[in-house]
Formats: sequence, structure tokens, C-alpha cells
Amino acid sequence: MEQAKAGKSRFKVDKVAIAFIAPAFIFYTLFIIWPTVSSVYYSFTSWDGISPKLRFIGLANYKEIFTSARFGNALKNTVILTVFISIFENAFALILALIVDSVRWAKNLFRSAFYIPVLISGIVSGFIWKIMYNYNFGAINSMLTSMGMGNFKQDWLGNTSLTLIMVGVVLVWKGAGYYMIIYLASLQSVSTDILEAADIDGASPFQKFKNITVPMISGAFTINFTLSLINGLKVFDQISVMTDGGPGFTSETLVYLLYKVGFNEGRQGFGTAVGIVLLFLIIVLNTIQQKFLRSREVQL
Amino acid sequence: MKRRLAAGLLVSAMTITTLAGCGGGSQDAGTTAAPTETTAAATTAAGGSETTAAETSAEAEGESVVSGPTELTFIFADGDEGAKASMNEIVNRFNEAYPDITVTIEPGNGGAYSEFLKTKDSVGEFPDIMEMRDTAMYVRAGKLEPLSEEIQSMFLNTMKFDKEVYAVPLGGENTNGIIYNKKYFDENGFTEPTTYDEFITLCQAIKDKGDMAPLVVGGQDIWHMGFWFHKAYNDQVLSQDADFIKHCYEGTKDFSDPVIKATFEEMKTIMRFAQDGWTSTPDAQITTFLVSDMAAMMYSGTHMFSQIAQADPNFEMGWFAVPSPDGKTRLVGGAGVGGLAISAESAKDPDKKAAGEAFIKFFYAPENYKIYCERLSAIPATVDQPELDVLPIFQEVIDATVAADDLAPMWNGRVGENELPPDFRNFTYKTLVEVLQGTREIDSACEEMNKTWKTAMESFNPVTGVGIE
Repeated sequence: MEQAKAGKSRFKVDKVAIAFIAPAFIFYTLFIIWPTVSSVYYSFTSWDGISPKLRFIGLANYKEIFTSARFGNALKNTVILTVFISIFENAFALILALIVDSVRWAKNLFRSAFYIPVLISGIVSGFIWKIMYNYNFGAINSMLTSMGMGNFKQDWLGNTSLTLIMVGVVLVWKGAGYYMIIYLASLQSVSTDILEAADIDGASPFQKFKNITVPMISGAFTINFTLSLINGLKVFDQISVMTDGGPGFTSETLVYLLYKVGFNEGRQGFGTAVGIVLLFLIIVLNTIQQKFLRSREVQL
Repeated sequence: MKRRLAAGLLVSAMTITTLAGCGGGSQDAGTTAAPTETTAAATTAAGGSETTAAETSAEAEGESVVSGPTELTFIFADGDEGAKASMNEIVNRFNEAYPDITVTIEPGNGGAYSEFLKTKDSVGEFPDIMEMRDTAMYVRAGKLEPLSEEIQSMFLNTMKFDKEVYAVPLGGENTNGIIYNKKYFDENGFTEPTTYDEFITLCQAIKDKGDMAPLVVGGQDIWHMGFWFHKAYNDQVLSQDADFIKHCYEGTKDFSDPVIKATFEEMKTIMRFAQDGWTSTPDAQITTFLVSDMAAMMYSGTHMFSQIAQADPNFEMGWFAVPSPDGKTRLVGGAGVGGLAISAESAKDPDKKAAGEAFIKFFYAPENYKIYCERLSAIPATVDQPELDVLPIFQEVIDATVAADDLAPMWNGRVGENELPPDFRNFTYKTLVEVLQGTREIDSACEEMNKTWKTAMESFNPVTGVGIE
């Protein structure tokens, strides 16, 4: 009898809690869950994004995705960009965090200075770097010329072998400050007791970093790599502003392809199918990455 | 693990839905179902062109065109001060010349004119006469009255929808040509080329001289690439088959056709003379190249004249049309899809129809049309050209459009059965850039265009009507 009562109370509907949760739940369902679910349906159609008429075409969009050279090119570009920014954004952010953590004066100034690029919008940073990269009037080539290194001048965004990397540099410049803050918070939580014990044991700075600091900030690694993976897979602003996916299709990424076909070419059905493939790609890569990084985390 | 997977799913879902949520891309899909063609009327216009100011005035002074007092409403895109002032002046003149007809201008909300006109239509306030932009859509909806042969004959060319003309151009399409540094040409003894081969030789001579690039190209803006692409496409494709796109829709031709390959070849020949870094040069910078002696020539429209003059008032500009390899002069110009039109509903009333036609004839009479063209720097589209008080270089362009062997809108500005699928233009320009940069062979480019065309045709084909509704 008591058990039945306990069971009943466990499933008791808390009307107040529901009242508080309901607005957020309805809003999230309406604007996040429902569009996501409905996009699966649209991916099986040839919808143009405007017409009220939908034509069901089965797996044709997916078949095209896996046989299309343009999708393959966009996937390759996305992977290159994601790997590039995942590695360099984190490496750069960690170096910045170590600098800020170790300086004894003007710590806040350094922290603010390194964080400023994060505050600039993707569009604005794209425009700034686009001007700097300009072949004829850009700051980079002008500096090279004034230093007598005119031979190293490049068409940074026009040279097909450089474009993607140059976009990646902008993403690293803009994003590293954010990851630096996460690394910094983690570095500051590393116990000084352990570091002092290592000092007593005669550990070198590198040994301390490798054997104490890195394992203890591995949680930050997991967060940062996850975020940079997702950011890399969905990069859009800088591509749109700096290259428009070009020259040709050199810097067209999956998200940019999704946008182009969905909204410019009137192929919303195909664009949605690209979005669904991207969703699964993020899930798979994120799961693998989480599994790998979590296994290296150290809990105190 | 489940929780992590769920978290991963949620993060991914949020990422995708954030992207899925953005939208509102511009669409020009489905603008017409009616076959369209651009018809040069210049040669057959002799009789009609005589219907000008003298005749319209005589008409006004003599027998009235209406049986009683008639009122017409007139809407145009009034966002531009020049358009507003010139339209007001012409309407005032008309109302004076035709005492029994009153044309009333209604505000046109120039900023979002197309939407405004749709709204007027949906609330039953569609004007009697209007500046029409989405002509195909309104023709399809039966909202516009076909214009008479007499009116058609007043124009150098008109855009036909299933053998009828529903709108007459307010001005000619923006004519592209070479704008060059006249001082540099004079100093070095370079002259305007009269053939395509002479043009290539000129470019080579400037390149060999080495002090500036022969051509400045704003290749970062792919629409700028369209200027040159259209020139080559016009030379190689339209000169052979004006309905090439229609034939592609029908499946009788495709983009592996030799004329398309020849287009790419012509582009490769010309682009050898573009400045270093042309792929990352925006259109907005090409003026700087020209006035800073970094390039000798640019290929663009007449809108650049004022920009160049503003950038350097002392810069001496010259202009010439680039001849086609077959020796003919093919220019962008003449009628586009838009212009002045008469409402079909209004035309049911014979008086209103007659009054509307009288207004259009009056508007394009040289002494009235001159006001519009001068205020808006528009290239006159009429056979009977007004004498404009404009820059000599602009007059040179006007003369060239009159003398041209062929005058047509851009390849992507056509409607009806020659209308391109949405964004096929951009795909073509991007593929062109790949070819010009050497990252794709011409055969491969043609193959890619065929693939994209095939896919695009499944959702847009004006010949079969798919995607037109």
C-alpha cells in the first residue's frame, strides 16, 4: 500500500513545473524540433522553396548527393577547413592561454586584446581580411612589397591553392580568443599543490605541462575540439563575404552549398537533403571525437 | 553514453536548424510561360516612327481620342528623384495637351516597387498605366493589354510574349563597351580597333609595353564576369542560334555544343590580358585601376562614366564597342522585359484604352522622352531619337546602339522559352572562372553545365511548363 502510494507520488504531475517548462518547450518544439523533423520530409521532395505544391521524389536527392562532383568538392573543402581550424584554433588558443596565465602584469589587457576578434562579427571580420588580402591594394602584399619581398606577393583569395587556407586563417584569428578563455579557466583550476609537488620531485616545466597540466585541462580540450568541429562544419559568414565559394567552386563548403542550392537555385528539397547529410556527419564525427577525448579526461 | 549521444544529437540538431531557419533567397523562378522573343523593329519602323510630337500634338489639337472626359491613373517607381521630376513634367505636359484626359500620378513606393504594385493589384487598385517590371508574371495573369503595332514600331526593339508586346522600354538596356584611357592611347599611338583581331592585337601591344594591364576585370563579383561572358556568348552562341537556351530545354542541343566551347575559348583569349589578381578584384575597384594608370581599358556599362568622372574629373575617357570575330557589332541594349504598360482591365473601356495609348505615344515623342532620358541618363530606346544634351562619350554609345548590327538584352535577361533556370547564370560564371584559372578543362566544364542543366530543368522548364505555375 505504501509502495503504491510512493509510486503514485513519483508520477504526480507537478502543474507548476509544467507551467514553467511549457513556454520554452512549445517554443523549442515549434521553432527547433518541428523544422528539423519536417526538413527530413522536404528532403524527399523537389520543393523549390516557394511553390505550395510538393512533388515526392523519394531518394533522388540523396542519390544525387552521393554522385555529385559538386557535393564531393564541398565535402572535401569542409573537411580540410574543419581539420585546419580544429588543430590551429586549439593550438593557438592554448598558446594564448598559457601566455595570459603566465604573465605577471597586464594580464587583463592581454586577455582583452586576445578576445577582441571574437567580438567582431563574422561578416565584418570577413570584410576586413578581404581588404587585407587584396592583391593590388591589400595590406599584406603592400607590406611584402615595402619590405622588398615583392616576389612573395600572392593573390591570397584568388589563388585556388591558397583560398581555403586563407579563409581558415581568418577563422582561427577570430575564434582562438574564445577557446583561450575556456583553456584559461581550466588552467587556473589546475591545483598548485600538484605543480609544487612536481617541482619538489624535480620535474621540468615540459614534464609538468605534459603530465599534469594537459591531463587536467583535458575537459577543456573536449569542449573546445567539439565546438571547433561544429564551427568548422557550419562555417558560412566568412565564405560568403570573402569568396562567395570561389574562385569557381574552390571554397564552397557544405553549408554554403546548402545555401546556394536551397535559396539561390530554388532547390530547397535538395538543399534540405544536404542539411540532413550534414546533420548525420556532425553526429558521427562528434560522437567519435567525444569518445576519444572523454577517454583521455582525468577526474579528480 | 546515451546522454552524450543525446547531447551530441541536440547540438547537431540546433546547428542544422539554425541553418535551416535562415532563408528568403532571391528568386526569379517562374516568371513566364509565354514564348518570348526580342524583335528588332528598327528597320520596319519608318511609318510608325513618324507618329511623334508633331502628330500627337496635332492629334491633341484636332479630333479628340476619347468620347468624353477620361481619367487615368499612372504609377511608376518613384524612388529616384530624376524619375519623379521627369515623369511629373511629362504628365503635366500631357494633361495640358489633352484637356479631356487627366492622368493622375499615384505614389509608386520606388524602394519596393514590385511588391507595391502587387499590393495595388490585390486590393483592386491596379493602375490604368504603369511602369511594369515583372511583365511576364502580369502577362500570364492576363493583367496587361497588348500594345498596338503603331506603338511597337516606335521602338528599336521590343520584347514579345507569344507574338504580343505588353510593355515598351523606358530606356535601353545598359550597353557594355570598352572604356579606355584616352590620354594613354594618344600618347602611345593606340587607336580604337575596328575588328576583333585588331582588339586582340591592341591588348597584346599594351601588354608588351608592360606599363599597365591592358584590361581591368572585377572577377571577384561574378556578375561582372557576366559582362565579358555575354560578349563571348553573343559572338559565338546567339549569333548562330538566338534560341539556344530554348533548344536546350527541348533537348535538341546541350552545352557540349561547339558554340559553347568556342565561347570559353574566346573568353580564354580575352582574359589573358586581364590584370594580375583579377579573381580577387571587386567591381568597385576597377575605376581605381583605370584612373590610377594601372589598366588601360575596362569593359562595362554606361553607368561607369559618372563613377570615373567622380573618381578623377580630369580623366580623359574614350569608348568603343568590341567587334565580334565575324566583323559585326553586337551590343547589349534595346528593350528589356519592363517598361510602360496598359492595364487589360482599363483597356476594356475604349476611351481609357485610347487615352492610355495616346499617353504612351506622347511620352515617347522626342521632345518629351528627352526629359526622361536626360534626367536618368537613359539610352533612348526609340527609333526617333531625341537630341540629348549629354556627355559626348554617352552620345557615342547612343549612336553605337543605333548603328549596331544586333541589339539584345543580356543572355540571362531573357524571358519565356529562353529564360534561364534560377542561378544557372551564376553556376556558369563560376565554371567559367574555373576554366580561366586552369583548374577545369573546357570539356569538363561543358559536362558539368550539362549535368547542372539537366537537374535544373527538372524543376524549371518554360518549354514544358514545369516550375512555371
